[in-house]
Amino acid sequence: MADGEQKSRFKRQKMTDEREDRANPYLAHMYNSEQDSGVGLSDGYSNGHRNGASNGGTSALASLKRHATTAAEVKVAENGPTNPFNGNNLSDRYFGILKTRRGLPVHAQRQEFLDMYQKSQILVFVGETGSGKTTQIPQFVLYDDLPQSQGKMVACTQPRRVAAMSVAQRVAQELDVKLGEEVGYSIRFEDMTGPKTILKYMTDGMLLREAMNDHDLKRYSTIILDEAHERTLATDILMGLLKEVVKRRPDLKLIIMSATLDAQKFQKYFLNAPLLAVPGRTHPVEIFYTPEPERDYVEAAMRTVLQIHATEPEGDILLFLTGEEEIEDACRKINMEADEMVREADAGPLKVYPLYGTLPPAQQQRIFDPAPAPFKPGGRPGRKCIISTNIAETSLTIDGIVYVVDPGFSKQKVYNPRIRVESLLVSPISKASAQQRAGRAGRTRPGKCFRLYTEGAFKKELIDQSYPEILRSNLASTVLELKKLGIDDLVHFDLMDPPAPETLMRALEELNYLACLDDEGDLTALGKLASDFPLDPALAVMLISSPEFYCSNEILSLTSLLSVPQLFVRPAAARKRADEMKDLFAHQDGDHLTMLNVYHAFKSPAAQDNPKQWCHDHFLSFRALQQADNVRLQLKRIMEREEVELVSTPFDDKKYYENIRRALVAGFFMQVAKKDTSGKTYVTVKDNQSVLLHPSTVLGQDSEWVVYNEFVLTSKNYIRVVTAVKPEWLLDIAKTYYDVDSFTKGEVKTSLQRVKEKMDRRAAIGGGRR
Amino acid sequence: MAAAEEEEDDYLAMSFDEPGSKQGKETSIQRTARVKREAAERGRVPSKRELADREKTARDLALATQLDASNKGAKMMAKMGFKGGALGKSEDARTQPIEVMLKDDRGGIGMDSEKKRKIREAAAEMDGQQKRRKVGEVEYRERTRNEREERRAEGQMWSAMRTLEGFETGAVASENGDDDAAEKANGERKDDTDKVTNTERKPLHSINILWRPLVKQRLEKERDRRMRYDLDQSLSSRTDYEDPDADQDDKLALGTQIEELDEDDPELEALEAMSFAERLGKIIEELREKYHYCFWCKYRYPDAAMKDCPGVTEDEHG
Repeated sequence: MADGEQKSRFKRQKMTDEREDRANPYLAHMYNSEQDSGVGLSDGYSNGHRNGASNGGTSALASLKRHATTAAEVKVAENGPTNPFNGNNLSDRYFGILKTRRGLPVHAQRQEFLDMYQKSQILVFVGETGSGKTTQIPQFVLYDDLPQSQGKMVACTQPRRVAAMSVAQRVAQELDVKLGEEVGYSIRFEDMTGPKTILKYMTDGMLLREAMNDHDLKRYSTIILDEAHERTLATDILMGLLKEVVKRRPDLKLIIMSATLDAQKFQKYFLNAPLLAVPGRTHPVEIFYTPEPERDYVEAAMRTVLQIHATEPEGDILLFLTGEEEIEDACRKINMEADEMVREADAGPLKVYPLYGTLPPAQQQRIFDPAPAPFKPGGRPGRKCIISTNIAETSLTIDGIVYVVDPGFSKQKVYNPRIRVESLLVSPISKASAQQRAGRAGRTRPGKCFRLYTEGAFKKELIDQSYPEILRSNLASTVLELKKLGIDDLVHFDLMDPPAPETLMRALEELNYLACLDDEGDLTALGKLASDFPLDPALAVMLISSPEFYCSNEILSLTSLLSVPQLFVRPAAARKRADEMKDLFAHQDGDHLTMLNVYHAFKSPAAQDNPKQWCHDHFLSFRALQQADNVRLQLKRIMEREEVELVSTPFDDKKYYENIRRALVAGFFMQVAKKDTSGKTYVTVKDNQSVLLHPSTVLGQDSEWVVYNEFVLTSKNYIRVVTAVKPEWLLDIAKTYYDVDSFTKGEVKTSLQRVKEKMDRRAAIGGGRR
Repeated sequence: MAAAEEEEDDYLAMSFDEPGSKQGKETSIQRTARVKREAAERGRVPSKRELADREKTARDLALATQLDASNKGAKMMAKMGFKGGALGKSEDARTQPIEVMLKDDRGGIGMDSEKKRKIREAAAEMDGQQKRRKVGEVEYRERTRNEREERRAEGQMWSAMRTLEGFETGAVASENGDDDAAEKANGERKDDTDKVTNTERKPLHSINILWRPLVKQRLEKERDRRMRYDLDQSLSSRTDYEDPDADQDDKLALGTQIEELDEDDPELEALEAMSFAERLGKIIEELREKYHYCFWCKYRYPDAAMKDCPGVTEDEHG
């Protein structure tokens, strides 16, 4: 009896949860099949509307006057019964969602929003994550801006691809339209829009790329920059750009959407644009500090989690750590300790979930699973603990979190133009980040945030705002983009936070060596062509010059492989086996060639039979390879459009691999290292940094000179993804960069001189013979 | 002739290896050594630590070196109208790149500054210790002075004891031979053994407590001497060797029975509990009372009045 009751309750519980999941815009892509099958949720909403629907012809929008609508008018239009955008009858699900939508915080201020939007060209909108701004504001705009009447679109940018995709999916559902028709998305290498599209979610990078060919972004009537507080590189550039565009285009409206923190800064930058703030649905969060600095923040974090589990009332825990390895390690240890607590101290069940960017999506979804039920009815409550990188800080909303544990670190990208290193480093977060993290505890009910540092350290050691990405990035591709955008005066370009002059200096220098910019700083033909590829300039130049080396097919594959995340999977439990599998593909001359071998094997009929299984068996990421395949297709289209020849050296030609290695040099000649005399370390050319080959390399033989894809800064300097090259190629292919006289005295210079003499001698002999 | 001289010079330089000639020309042996040394230096595999240090030094150096006007990019920027300072239009833009900070441990936020604070505190602590050491110096001087005085008092005590013994045993007969007697008492006297034989007849505890330690010390010395002597003489036994077969008579016969000197003597223990100065005072008092002898004047006065003696203490005697 009791058993049955429990079961049914469990079922009911599960159902509600599912419904909540469906309401979660970040999960929208999980339920896409439904849209087509038309299976609505039977949540009791009457289907009377459908029956009454008949007059599909006249649109409810006809009565609306552009930029003069009111919330009340729109409400009528939204009530149907036909879809004002496509004239179809609205589904039951639509009305179900409409009801929820109208309960969102932003809805209460719809009229206020419309008033301001209609009055002002630029508007700063502030609303916390979960206020509904990302899904609702673009729809509010749609009903007032009526872009279809102008033959234009509304764009809403997102910093992340996944967000752009799933929010678009969700909004398509909310508007009861098919994704890719009225509502679509556009992300790098994937365009899900059509001729009917009036609302386009896109990554900020994509909008930037569009601006390259359409400097005034004429196809848009309103542009919404969402999550502007994240200050991604593309968003910052877009803001600088749009600040100019709005002057040229009075008909373009611009909305900057941000979480509360630096709203004034946006207002000031946009010439005191009006601001509208919507309070989030948040509860107070009590903040606790440690009395002493922690010796080991990971250990302290685990201790705190277990203590919360042992002593605090019901509620889920969110712990912020810095990276995959740290998170997986902590998961394992907390699980072990929690099991012991269950056995010995009669604690409730504790489920621990990791969350980080490279986690497969299916596993990422598990964080939305409900907390485990108590072991017996009335027993101590179970809870879940999510251990996450800072993805959970802003971009993702997990309900039920009541306790936040914040050690105060995150992995942040750092770029230094002096040693030309761009790396992810564990760094202290900012005060703004810390507040954001704490806020995560108050989404469901009053919560607690445990900061693993002293209050004094919070005040003294943390900077106020995180550095925007533009200050932490190599700007080579950005400079190329700006040039293509028609910005010639890079020095005085009005950015919200201009980077250090040296960063621009390096970027210009790199582009000049790559022959994308001439000495005056003007785009060359190669530069123009390179900017057509959504790639780093070095990769683009390599790809464009690859036909000269008779291997553009291979370099195209390689470029695609270098544009996707980690190919090789190396689970902690099966490292040895994974390494053995990797060895199957290993090419003694280096990692680039090894990656190429992997791709070729992946494309072989044997693997394509069951590619997923094949990848699993060979410890390769199916997702990454699939993505690479897609990237390759996109790049191939651009190559065909731009008439870059696709050629290959016959595989049995002994120059097959050599040609590929030469082509590598054409793009990566600035990322070369030479073996030190000690024979253990390498020295980077020109910057003279002592580096080690990354342990993951397959580079077998003793290679005096190598090109590398990445200079990684950890406790040691590493170069990752390396391939052996010959110094003669460097002097031959990159003459300007390898102007031996320009080198500072040292081992690299001496070696290069020797090689040059030898080459000159040989040339002289050859010339004599001729 | 000149050639011969040169040769001679060379020869000398080689054989004596004058320091001056070394700098001028390198001999083949030296060269070989140098080449070998240099090769070894090159061939030596640097330790991980050295490598890490080298890496860090190169990195820090490069990070601290600003890109200068010779940089191609700088020239391009100059053409765009860059005149130093910051980029853009805002007044508070940065001119320097963000610092690269490597975290190689798991110390929490504030741990580094906490460490620095602790180092500062430790430094302050060291300062404190130095001050304390200065205070300690004064203490040390005091202590050594006390020790020195103690040793002096001890010497005087033994000396006074011997004088008293002299009076008690009648060794100092004459009234005015006391100077000699005192002198002799200070040295190692040859007739020590005789004295032992004299005093040995009396049981230790019957001797005046004030000079009993002297007798006891002498007995102990004598016993040690005899034991050493016996050890040298007899092959049969060591005095400290317990022969399981030997009975009491054997022991007596062999003279191996050790005289019991360490018997309980509460009177002596009480005396030894006193400081040397106190004990000295007691002996001096006894000498004055019984024999009208002043230890400081080194003179035996004819009567109890002890006229002409300036007083009881050493100070009074100047």
